[in-house]
Amino acid sequence: MEAFAADRTGEQIYKQQCASCHGGTGEGTVDYPRALAGDRSVAQLSGLIAKTMPEDDPGSCVGDDANKVAAYIYESFYSSAARARNKPPRIELSRLTVRQYRNAVADLIGGFQESGGWDERRGVRGQYYKARQYRDGDRVFDRVDPEVRFDFGVTGPDPEKFQPNEFSIRWEGSVLAPETGEYEFIVRTENAASLWINDNRKPLIDALVKSGTDTEYRASIVLLGGRAYPLRLEFTKAKQGVDDSKNRKGKPPEVKASIALEWKLPHRPAETIPGHCLSPRMVPESFVVTTAFPPDDRSVGYERGTSVSKAWDQATTSAAIEVAGYVTSHLRQLANAQEKDSDREKKLREFCLRFVERAFRRPLSDDQKQRYIDRQFSDSKDLEIAVKRVVLLALKSPRFLYREVDGNADAYDVAARISFGLWDSLPDQALLNAAASGQLATREQVVRQAERMVTDLRTHAKVRAFFLHWLRVEQVPDLSKDAERFPGFDETIASDLRTSLDLFLEDVVWSEASDFRKLLLSDFLFLNGRLAKYYDVELLPDAPFQRVTLYPGERAGVLTHPYLMAAFAYTSTTSPIHRGVFISRSVLGRSLRPPPEAVAPLAPDLHAGLSTRDRVTLQTSPAACMTCHGRLNPLGFGLEHFDAVGRFREDEKGKPIDSTGIYETLSGGSVPFSGARELAGLLAASEETHTAFVEELFHTVVKQPIRAFGPRALSDLRRSFAANGFNIRKLIVEMIASTALPAREWKP
Amino acid sequence: MAPIRNRREFIRDLGVGAAALPFLLNLPSLGFANQTQRKKRLVVMFSPNGIVPKTFWPDQEGEAFTFKESLKPLEPFRDRTLVLHGVCDKVRGDGDNHMRGMGCLLTGIELFPGNIQGGSDTPAGWAKGLSIDQEIKNHLQGQPETRTRFGSLEFGVMVPDRADTWTRMVYAGANKPLAPIDDPYQMFGKLYGNVKDKESLKSILDDLKDDLAKVGSKVSAEDRQLLQEHATFVREMEQELKESASAGHAVPEIEPGVKEDNDNIPKITKMQIDLMVNGFAADFARVATLQITNSVGGARMRWIGVTEGHHELSHNPDSDEKSQEKLTKINAWYCEQMAYLAKRLAETPEPGGGGSLLDNTLIVWTNELGKGNSHTLDDIPFVLVGNGLDFRMGRSLKYPKLPHNRLLLALAHGMGHTIERFGNPNYCGAGILPNLS
Repeated sequence: MEAFAADRTGEQIYKQQCASCHGGTGEGTVDYPRALAGDRSVAQLSGLIAKTMPEDDPGSCVGDDANKVAAYIYESFYSSAARARNKPPRIELSRLTVRQYRNAVADLIGGFQESGGWDERRGVRGQYYKARQYRDGDRVFDRVDPEVRFDFGVTGPDPEKFQPNEFSIRWEGSVLAPETGEYEFIVRTENAASLWINDNRKPLIDALVKSGTDTEYRASIVLLGGRAYPLRLEFTKAKQGVDDSKNRKGKPPEVKASIALEWKLPHRPAETIPGHCLSPRMVPESFVVTTAFPPDDRSVGYERGTSVSKAWDQATTSAAIEVAGYVTSHLRQLANAQEKDSDREKKLREFCLRFVERAFRRPLSDDQKQRYIDRQFSDSKDLEIAVKRVVLLALKSPRFLYREVDGNADAYDVAARISFGLWDSLPDQALLNAAASGQLATREQVVRQAERMVTDLRTHAKVRAFFLHWLRVEQVPDLSKDAERFPGFDETIASDLRTSLDLFLEDVVWSEASDFRKLLLSDFLFLNGRLAKYYDVELLPDAPFQRVTLYPGERAGVLTHPYLMAAFAYTSTTSPIHRGVFISRSVLGRSLRPPPEAVAPLAPDLHAGLSTRDRVTLQTSPAACMTCHGRLNPLGFGLEHFDAVGRFREDEKGKPIDSTGIYETLSGGSVPFSGARELAGLLAASEETHTAFVEELFHTVVKQPIRAFGPRALSDLRRSFAANGFNIRKLIVEMIASTALPAREWKP
Repeated sequence: MAPIRNRREFIRDLGVGAAALPFLLNLPSLGFANQTQRKKRLVVMFSPNGIVPKTFWPDQEGEAFTFKESLKPLEPFRDRTLVLHGVCDKVRGDGDNHMRGMGCLLTGIELFPGNIQGGSDTPAGWAKGLSIDQEIKNHLQGQPETRTRFGSLEFGVMVPDRADTWTRMVYAGANKPLAPIDDPYQMFGKLYGNVKDKESLKSILDDLKDDLAKVGSKVSAEDRQLLQEHATFVREMEQELKESASAGHAVPEIEPGVKEDNDNIPKITKMQIDLMVNGFAADFARVATLQITNSVGGARMRWIGVTEGHHELSHNPDSDEKSQEKLTKINAWYCEQMAYLAKRLAETPEPGGGGSLLDNTLIVWTNELGKGNSHTLDDIPFVLVGNGLDFRMGRSLKYPKLPHNRLLLALAHGMGHTIERFGNPNYCGAGILPNLS
């Protein structure tokens, strides 16, 4: 035996000496049913084997043999890593992700108030008064202002209709928060103003007292993305307090008046709140939970809730307390319960029942009513404390915090799958009604609901977050550029470009065709006056964002969007490698290993004569690099006509740009192309691209591994995507339709 | 002989005079070296519209003085009272006297020009600096041995729901007025909300644990692990709640359902004072303000038989005896509130030390005006009760119209914060007001 030990692999030894008792993959046999699985190290296993194995002849597998077989067992099925690897993907029990938690709480509370109201109209409604107070008799006119930035000079809005030193304006409407985070609102005025955001009683900024030389007032508030919030801004140019107008003598001094309403999105510079985020219709207030949560695990590429931690549990406690505080202080609106109501307790119990049912996404059984409602009321003398206890218990309950935890597998689960899939939130009343009346039993019924819901702002927000993730710009990147090479490319331009990308995505995804290929092929984008000036397009300097064709015949959708071109570049030169990695990872969905060693890029000035392309080729020429870069670089080179801020260029350092490249297909073919448009054409038509897109979108929507839904789930979805003209919205609906109904494997 | 409870009593019992105190206090051989410095507290109580001088100021100077009607309620605290006549708010500039009287009262500095028009003078905005209570609070919060959970608490009673120069006395900085909390339930929430929340949390734990167990039995073995891990965290929370409950202190009961309206002013004032005393006993803060109504405040004290608003009455001439009587009654009522606060402090033992809270607290009662109908900022009422700041109490003092900035400085010094200037330096003269200790 010793003689040929050196030639045998660990696997061979196992098959020959171990498998008859332990089974081919360590699963065990009738006589030895215990599977080979545990947490010993390779060295420990090897020691154990040498000492005790095989049972009928211990000592016959020692030394190198024992080491090899131990390593084989460990790597193949013994260790926890191996077990995880071998396990077929399954639908795992998941808690709500942070995003789902915040949305669920907002909609849970929102369900007790009138809803909605974000329509097609943009701007805010301004009411102009010729007095220091807002009395109807002094109201001169109303109009919709696209945004709030006015310089009234010393004369006021209209010298014919207003006294120059006494007028007031009230703007009302709603503001749409594009993303979740802390927003800073800024009011600039030489006069007096107050601003209310998402709270119609307590102003966020109270500067009705003009004091000293301050002209800038700031305050921050946390808002959830994809939701609209009520906004009111009051401005007055007048003295407040005692009215001394009768005693005034002589000509009043000439005083300037101006007002601007700005905001600072998370990680962005301040800007006038743009008209496309304003609506003249006032939506109801909503509740935003501000407790900080630890971020979700996204090690597999999407946020999922398959793990819990102490920090998460504590956050759910703090958040539950925060919600309970809000609920008990808003019982008048939420439960329609006045202090003096003789049936106050009845109203509060009814409210609590609805609250818990909405939180759990299903009606309560009698036992549950007893536990979650009745007991809390009978145990506490004070009605408000009873309500508080109900809220705390509901929001700490696994029935709220987890998805599909009570093994019902019924129409209410279907409803929640639809709403969490499309909105990352609770089912709305219509969906719950459908579940209650047996209207969620067929594919057609699910599709009908999904089609109703897919146009909601909440789907917009979810899809937008997906695309920013898909494009690898979810975290706002630092786009600082070399000031000598790119004068004028500042924080504001970078921020405008992000908005421009947003508007492009919104336009393509929510257009009638919702055609995925347009994302890669379109040659239009959105520019405002500032960007137009920078990219040499004729627009008025203060023009709002509008559709513009930039570099006709050259640009190719997101692939050449200046925001991404600037993000996948260095401060003064492009980076074909970053661009190649982006196309490879995001568009083609390929996994890439990190480089074998960290390599600093070659400094451009040490190779003054070389083009970027030549320099990158030189740097990655060693064989060890070329295994990956041989495929990456030729993709990135295709975008070389676009410089580090995304402007089109014919040459670099006096030499014409070479933007030829090669797309290596999965089937082993090499397809040559020249320039961004040819590359985009190849990608848009490639099944590889479609598969990658479907998979990544699926994981964001469903938050479970697609392979857990059967071996054909991915290819079926891709085929339906192609059959529907690559319509993204229809793809989302199809994802819901194909995953909401089937019973999921495990049943109690 | 009763056991000696602290160093103060020890020294008092030794019969050592005040002059020898500083020497004794530095002697470690007296054996009190392990006792930390005593807590010192400051309360500023405000009422509006000036007072009636002839029924307010004692005629005498020194220790032998008599309280007149307005100050009669302080009789039980005679030995612990200091009446300061002749302290004047000399700050001028923009704003009428009610505005400056309020905005400069604790800040000692001018108002910014602004858009708030008073009954006379030029319009103004907020004060240009922070108020003395906040200055002291910042000092105390800056040191670990005097730092408390809140540092300071701003109480109010029926303060109108609008932020302007007449309704704000406390400033965190230039242009940074702080709103007093005039809703006792809101104050209760601020002080005890977390304790109440923990009680509620504790009360649902059994149901929550049952719930987790029930749900755990309905999922697959693989998924159950996640719920078991979750259940561990819930058990840990239960343990932590138990531990924090044993370390906590009593939560006072407050009367439910008291509405904010004029006729409830006596009830609300009492509730706020009780919360303040409880807050001191729990050492939530060492500084507090109690702003009853506001500058120009118009409380209608029907509960003492006065149906007119306070401000309108205060404009009536001195010759209108009826009004003078009513104003005297009004101020006596405010004085009663101060006496109630003093009484509550006196009957509450100092936790961890000897004596009562009043031994370690100074209450300052003040006003935005000296006199309502003249709107003078001279002879602003400053009545002090309590032994918190080592001032020599039991006296009536008359100053030759000295600026009130010097009193603000003396309050800071008394609280251990020896700044040389406060507010407008031009009114800080030769430093702290003389003859206080």
